[in-house]
Amino acid sequence: MERLQAIATAISRGGAIVGGALLLAASIVICIDIALRYAFSLTIGGADDLSGYALAISSAWGFSAALLSRSHIRIDTVYVRVRSRAARAALDMLSLASFALFGGLVAWHGWGVLQQSYVSNSHSQSAIEMPLTIPQALWFAGLAFFVAVALLLLARALLALLRRDLDDLFRLIGSKSALAEAKEEISAVAHALEAEPKK
Amino acid sequence: MTAAISLAVLLLVLGSSIAVAAGMAMVGLILNQLYSQMPLTRMLGELTWSTTSNFILTAIPFYIMFGEILLRSGIAERMYNAMIQWLSWLPGGLMHSNVGSCALFGSVSGSSVATAATIGVVAMGEIDKHKYNERLFLGTLAAGGTLGILIPPSINMIIYGVMTDTSVPKLYLAGFIPGFILTVLFSLTVLIACMWKPHWGGEKIQTSWEERWRTLPDLLPPLVLLLIVVGAIFFGLATATESAAVGILGALVIAAWRRRVTLTMLREVCEGTVRTTAMVVAILVGAFFLNVVIQTIGLTQQLARLITAYQLTPAQVLTAVIVLYLVLGTFMEELSMMISTIPITTPLIVHAGYDPVWFGILLVLLIQTAMISPPFGINLFVIHGLRGRGTLSDVEIGSAPFVIALLIMIGLICVFPDIVMWAPRVFG
Repeated sequence: MERLQAIATAISRGGAIVGGALLLAASIVICIDIALRYAFSLTIGGADDLSGYALAISSAWGFSAALLSRSHIRIDTVYVRVRSRAARAALDMLSLASFALFGGLVAWHGWGVLQQSYVSNSHSQSAIEMPLTIPQALWFAGLAFFVAVALLLLARALLALLRRDLDDLFRLIGSKSALAEAKEEISAVAHALEAEPKK
Repeated sequence: MTAAISLAVLLLVLGSSIAVAAGMAMVGLILNQLYSQMPLTRMLGELTWSTTSNFILTAIPFYIMFGEILLRSGIAERMYNAMIQWLSWLPGGLMHSNVGSCALFGSVSGSSVATAATIGVVAMGEIDKHKYNERLFLGTLAAGGTLGILIPPSINMIIYGVMTDTSVPKLYLAGFIPGFILTVLFSLTVLIACMWKPHWGGEKIQTSWEERWRTLPDLLPPLVLLLIVVGAIFFGLATATESAAVGILGALVIAAWRRRVTLTMLREVCEGTVRTTAMVVAILVGAFFLNVVIQTIGLTQQLARLITAYQLTPAQVLTAVIVLYLVLGTFMEELSMMISTIPITTPLIVHAGYDPVWFGILLVLLIQTAMISPPFGINLFVIHGLRGRGTLSDVEIGSAPFVIALLIMIGLICVFPDIVMWAPRVFG
């Protein structure tokens, strides 16, 4: 199980990096498009479609990365005041189960969207005329992977619950306090600033 | 009745610490079950695809990525040092540089947390060096950081614009003057505090004109980026999304010039961008679904009828909404607060006769207030975390004067709506 999660983490990180690269590429295509527009009154066309697809795909793959790093926002005003550890664990399970259900519904009906595009052979509206099934398949794969990760986490949390190992459960799916969240943000900034080459 | 039950369900679900994105979807499912025959869940696939592949929304990851690169480009430290030269002669010294740097960095960054964290990291070392009143100093950073979402570009304005069909360029235009006035108000707050208690202002910092001219070029990169990113929108050369894309390129060029671009750096930028984007997008998808349910079951009309029935004047509606946000803002995470309430409050306010652009700016000011009002204020946490000593209440106390400045600002735009509306009317 632990190995399975390590693999899932690696895949979702990879997905996030590729998704980010797609976004970066989309931004560069847009810049080229703007330059051509003003220099030669030309347009490649479809830059907006492409960046839309980049957002859809990268966010679908990002859902699981955010879930694994517990970055999805939860309002923990009540949570932190709950004394009972068992009750907190129950809230964590409930939160994750809702996410799995939400993701499952989106993925289920997302499959329908993909199927529909395949049946009606839809293409993007702009000049590139890309078959919609290509971006939608990548998008759906991200959603399906998210559901798999959510179920995996749910199974691991359930096992931890059965072992009565609540610490493990909190490590896996507990709510991250806002302060911890802020500290992560800061360490990212500090880390980035440290990279300054010393003269 | 529906309204009361819906609100109760929303508060119950979000209060029980279910992840906000999933929570909103669950509320949508519950309301759908209770009040509508149509299985609206069937729309989830199409809704998610069309929302997430929306070109205007790509501005969100672009601004996030722009900020991530900017952060790693090292422009913040140099900018801060130049600001010291130019602003620290005022009573309160460096604290004015804090506010000024936040305003300038905020004018290229679309996020308040990033602004507070970036300027905070650079400034934190100066407290002890110059014997400032620590609390006030921390307050300038927490409050100054919030300028990130008021001065364009602003991720919050894009989300508001997309959710309410309001023009993002108009919101940007509208944000500038209030952003400038608020910066001055923050500085005035420091000035008044330090004239009242001069020892709060720390030791005087030696500056010279020679130094000032020498450091002036360090203020240029953010100014140039600002001109590219915001200027392009104002002159109609590019859309908000396109200009964000240009911003990424500009930031990359600056980072490359400072020799900061490496493969590791790019990988970190990509990963960080996607994780933050996914978190925002997840909440947006949940909110869009809830929005559809709310409209289908006729909740907004019901609320509007309620207002008519009680014969509330526009001013009363506005006051109620402002109070609602001030209360919610104390304990709710700011982004979730904004996204989960917009579908309900905006139609009400527009129904009462207020301009959606104006309300967008008011909303941003209310979110800024929420960010520095205890017990939950994300910027308080960021600054406290940065400081690594003392208690959170130091930051809270230090930020209190700036909460007052924000409330004054909110009052100002309510009394003189033209502060907001003049620019979009003239240039829009």
